[in-house]
Amino acid sequence: MIPTTEEMRDAFFDALHGEMREDPRIMVVTNDLGAPSLDRFRTDFPHSFINAGVSEQNIISIAAGLAMAGRRVCVYSIASFITLRCLEQIKLDLCVMNLPVTIAAVGPCFAYAADGPSHHASEDIALLRAMANVSIWSPCDARSAAALASVVRNNSGPAYVRLDRGARPPVYGDAASFGSGFSVLRQGADVCCIATGIMTHTALAAAGYLDKQGIAAAVIDVCRLKPLPGAGLLAAAGASAALVTIEEHTMNGGLGSIIAEAGVDAGLRLPLLRLGLGDDRLYAYGSRESLHAAAGLDCGSVVQRIAAWLRHGAFR
Amino acid sequence: MPSLVRKKAGELRRRIVEVCAERGGHIASSLSCIEIIAELYFGGMLRHDPADPAWPGRDIFIMSKGHGELALYAVLAARGFFPEEWLRTRYRHGDCLLGGHPDRRVPGVEATTGALGHGLGIAAGHALACCKDGRDTFHFVLMGDAECTEGSIWETALFAARHELANLVGIVDRNRISACDFTEHFTALEPFARKWRSFGWEVRELDGHDVDRLHDAFDYARSARPRRPLVVIANTVKGKGVSFIENNPAWHNKSLDTPEEVALALAQVARTPE
Repeated sequence: MIPTTEEMRDAFFDALHGEMREDPRIMVVTNDLGAPSLDRFRTDFPHSFINAGVSEQNIISIAAGLAMAGRRVCVYSIASFITLRCLEQIKLDLCVMNLPVTIAAVGPCFAYAADGPSHHASEDIALLRAMANVSIWSPCDARSAAALASVVRNNSGPAYVRLDRGARPPVYGDAASFGSGFSVLRQGADVCCIATGIMTHTALAAAGYLDKQGIAAAVIDVCRLKPLPGAGLLAAAGASAALVTIEEHTMNGGLGSIIAEAGVDAGLRLPLLRLGLGDDRLYAYGSRESLHAAAGLDCGSVVQRIAAWLRHGAFR
Repeated sequence: MPSLVRKKAGELRRRIVEVCAERGGHIASSLSCIEIIAELYFGGMLRHDPADPAWPGRDIFIMSKGHGELALYAVLAARGFFPEEWLRTRYRHGDCLLGGHPDRRVPGVEATTGALGHGLGIAAGHALACCKDGRDTFHFVLMGDAECTEGSIWETALFAARHELANLVGIVDRNRISACDFTEHFTALEPFARKWRSFGWEVRELDGHDVDRLHDAFDYARSARPRRPLVVIANTVKGKGVSFIENNPAWHNKSLDTPEEVALALAQVARTPE
């Protein structure tokens, strides 16, 4: 479905609305969260939309029970709430029993910047990738978000989809497909920037500035973090002389760790720079821009860090 | 039927002791709830088909207190869901298909449990789907009383009342002992019945070892009654049937360790009740 909005969350739910028209098995469960795109669900599918109140553990167990009864369930909540508070339910009720429940989690990391650490999902990738049977998706624009609505209907097991807030410039065209789990957005022989979510936009912008400095930068957007499309992704990344991962997430166990682990396992011998959030940058309040600047994740800082690393550190 | 169930419960109690003597396991927690599970499976209160564990016409039983596994396995084996010999060859032995806590891969086990506070929510979700589909499936969930200090239980209690899940029956094995202490030493479950009523549930409180009262309560659950979920508070004795295990908090994580303990326990459960 081609989205009519550049808001990722709304694009996802608009597409899910279409899926629900075709498949009455689909149910949406939320913990007292609203969204303009969800209001239609209450009126158009009153028997398939449940507000279960502020009860994340209950919601995941309820979703498991619905799935056991033959439903395809989409749980919608803010990412920080629907992961940490009910991690045991995600593990035991969804992953161990391998049930078709998709968690549509809005607000990765600093999306709710000014609301503080209680609303920051800065470790969700690290936590969920440690579990078996769950697929993890991290779209970067409305088109890729809309395409993932089909996961709710088609996945036979649990899935986690991180949806950013607000409108983002389109990265993908209408004909794009996301089956491979990653996309080479830009070629470049000197360095390959591997990013996900909002940082794909930063990577693309940084590549443009690096280009002006004579550094040919490739950009790969990783839309599916687990299972990682390792072979294809590393083959594509290996066309560059060095790798950089860029993520708005703790450095402990996120995209950088994923790529490092995959690279080591594949015997890839390339320098790797991981850009993300250190422990000293995790728990903070501020605008998203100021938090990025403080962590060296704004575009200018990313350009500077990559250039300096290539010049002085990457090939020692 | 009640006397048949009473006899069967006695046989199953003996079986639990036999299996524990050989393989260990949560003997105390299993001995307290055997009448409850026996009444469901042998008293005609739970529709099921051992030859077809996934039969769509079945009712759902979830052992939320997964540490009562010996009781569940003994009943499922006796009903023919799997061979009796699995209690010797695959319970905490071999491939451990019959694990220390039940897994959904075992024929007859509806949900993987072991961490507390999950079963009621899972059953409530299934119950809600059945309501929407117009299916007459009943859902029974056996919980421990200490398990009811998990907040998730009360989250589901609120939810079930709101959605008028009259096809959901919670059963609490109220043996008043947790993993390491008497419940009222560290928490305030009482007034327990009043708490459930305040959450919008119907409540029946009874002797959890009296199969006649259990039968009446489950029969009532299935009758035409107010559109509310029902909880059966079954007052039980942890370790029922073996004198040195009864009401002793030390036995939650303990099995029969010595030949003397095994011999005495077997002798005490040898006599089948009338």
